[in-house]
Amino acid sequence: MKKTVVATLLAILAAGSVYALDPGQTELEYNGWFRYLNQSAKFKVTNPTASRSLIERNYLRASHQWSPQFFSKLSMDFLSSSSFADGAGVRIKEAYVDMALPIPDFTLTAGVQKHYFGLIYSWDYTHPDKSLADAQGVCASADYGVTVNGFLPKGLGELQLGVYNGEGYKYTGAKNSIAPELLANLRLTPFAGVQVGASVFAKAKDFSTYKNDKKGRSSDGTKFELGDTANMSRFALAPMAKVAFGPVSLTGEYIVYSYTREYGYYDLNRDTTGTVIDSTLAPRKTKDYAMSGLDLMPMVSLMDRKLEVFGRFSTWERKEQSGDSMPVNLDRSLMRYGAGFNYHFLRRAGGSKPGVAFQLAWVREQSRKEGADPVDTFMAQARFEWNHLFSAQ
Amino acid sequence: MKKLLSIATLAAMVTTLVAGEVMVKGSDTMLNLTQRLAEAFSAASPDITVSVAGGGSGVGINAVVNNEVEIGNASRSIKSKEISNARANGVNPVEYAIAVDGLCVIAGPNNPVKRLTMAQLGDIYRGKIKNWSEVGGPNKPITLYGRQPNSGTFVFFREMAVKAEYAQSMRQMNGNSQIVEGVKADAGGIGYVGVGYVKDGGITVIELSSDGTSYSSPLDKSAVDNGTYPLARPLFQYTNGKVKGDAKAFIEFELSPAGQKIVEEEGFFPLNKSLVEKNQGNL
Repeated sequence: MKKTVVATLLAILAAGSVYALDPGQTELEYNGWFRYLNQSAKFKVTNPTASRSLIERNYLRASHQWSPQFFSKLSMDFLSSSSFADGAGVRIKEAYVDMALPIPDFTLTAGVQKHYFGLIYSWDYTHPDKSLADAQGVCASADYGVTVNGFLPKGLGELQLGVYNGEGYKYTGAKNSIAPELLANLRLTPFAGVQVGASVFAKAKDFSTYKNDKKGRSSDGTKFELGDTANMSRFALAPMAKVAFGPVSLTGEYIVYSYTREYGYYDLNRDTTGTVIDSTLAPRKTKDYAMSGLDLMPMVSLMDRKLEVFGRFSTWERKEQSGDSMPVNLDRSLMRYGAGFNYHFLRRAGGSKPGVAFQLAWVREQSRKEGADPVDTFMAQARFEWNHLFSAQ
Repeated sequence: MKKLLSIATLAAMVTTLVAGEVMVKGSDTMLNLTQRLAEAFSAASPDITVSVAGGGSGVGINAVVNNEVEIGNASRSIKSKEISNARANGVNPVEYAIAVDGLCVIAGPNNPVKRLTMAQLGDIYRGKIKNWSEVGGPNKPITLYGRQPNSGTFVFFREMAVKAEYAQSMRQMNGNSQIVEGVKADAGGIGYVGVGYVKDGGITVIELSSDGTSYSSPLDKSAVDNGTYPLARPLFQYTNGKVKGDAKAFIEFELSPAGQKIVEEEGFFPLNKSLVEKNQGNL
């Protein structure tokens, strides 16, 4: 019986294939982005609020194809940061195995992997800034989980169905809740030049003390807020569309995101002089949050794809429960727009991925807070990426 | 700003594919054939130059997807993933079969093994069968010759015959000619090449069987046409949308009686009725 089960499983596996590389091949890949960033109010670049050089990305990836049925990848993010004791750190961005499923062009991926929400996983940094969902903390670009990936016949599109921790690749172990995140993503390409799709995820509860970090006195001094907050009923939906005609394309997504935060606190009781005399544990409360945002990116590719000129327009609106109403939190709602270009000195073999490129972008962020000055950010980036294939021989 | 835009526009115009020139890139199996077709076409249409380059089927398909060439050569069908990516970028890959290849399994000139089943062939290339004596031949170790991974032939043979990973001992050669030369000089050698590369003789072309009862040769046109020969495959060209302009003139020439005659002269097989009808729907 056992032999039959094993033989059946092997036969099912043998029926499918996943060819990222060729069997026996190993690929080593490096992504390095050196960035200069200047941030100021109203174009005052000589009097910036931020002016620094940094390594924005420093990834080393290794992939291996064992057989037609099995492929794996490890991506490590090497960071230099003063927030680490030794001034440096390593994060695992991807570590997964792909297994072929018996349906043609379908695979099962297990491990730390791409998180297929909205544009976040297909965001190839034509614009050097992050995708909207990533920038606004809706979700991380990678997470721990299991995904079924598939391509539809005749190039009609692709789909992903996944179960993840839901807190992102930076959080592990005790920082993950027991509630899994469920995700579905669908992309359809019914015609050349038209891609439409949507992603949706839902998670019952986040273990989010690390995220909200509310252990301490509230800003008005009336409460001592506890750290054991949790985001309940986290839900996000992102329809997307891309139209491309010749060298011109327009990519856009609209995100709706909501959650309820449950939190605890002590009421601080003060005497007439304002000194805290005692505290009372208050019943836990909840507060609803609802966000929405639009992201549009037009792009023109010129000079045989050496030059890409792009624009970007984004909005983000955050509503927070106050009693029975949900007013907009203007401090945390904004509009962003800007433009830039990429010049590709070299592309990698195959012609699609960047090799050596220079990127320049300007982004203006206008908070909706009354009287707030716009913040202008200039990013100049040298992007250098390579890969090398090692064959079995 | 105006000046910058003008420079960018001018540069885009300069790098736009030049009228009167058709660029073809991709499959190495199809390289010699397409080169011959291009020469004959340019002789008949001197105003149009056809440039042909190799690189492998994957390179050819990518070149069409990235709008780098008008025609991509591929000895395998385009994959669902490649079509999906192409469409998302506004490219609609359209397929034309220009010839039929019976992929030949070859051995040295004096090798007494004239027939193999597909199961034996798979075991040989998976490294399970290591000696010719295991398939009725002399007591001689088998040396495997094959293509490099960027080749459509490599992929086609793996999917049709090997059905797993190739044995690590396989020598990965640059092209069909190198495989023929390698096998000719190696009494224990076995390789696979396009039928166009065996016309000069000096090697054994092995007959194949799917069921172990009826064997057929890639040199038998009817066996390739009716699908009895297990390693028959169409050779494709891909374009972005239905082909037009100079590229259309070239493909029409390839499909014409004159073009199909060159296909036969190069050792491949002309298109059968169903492939001709499929092409007509895309012209």
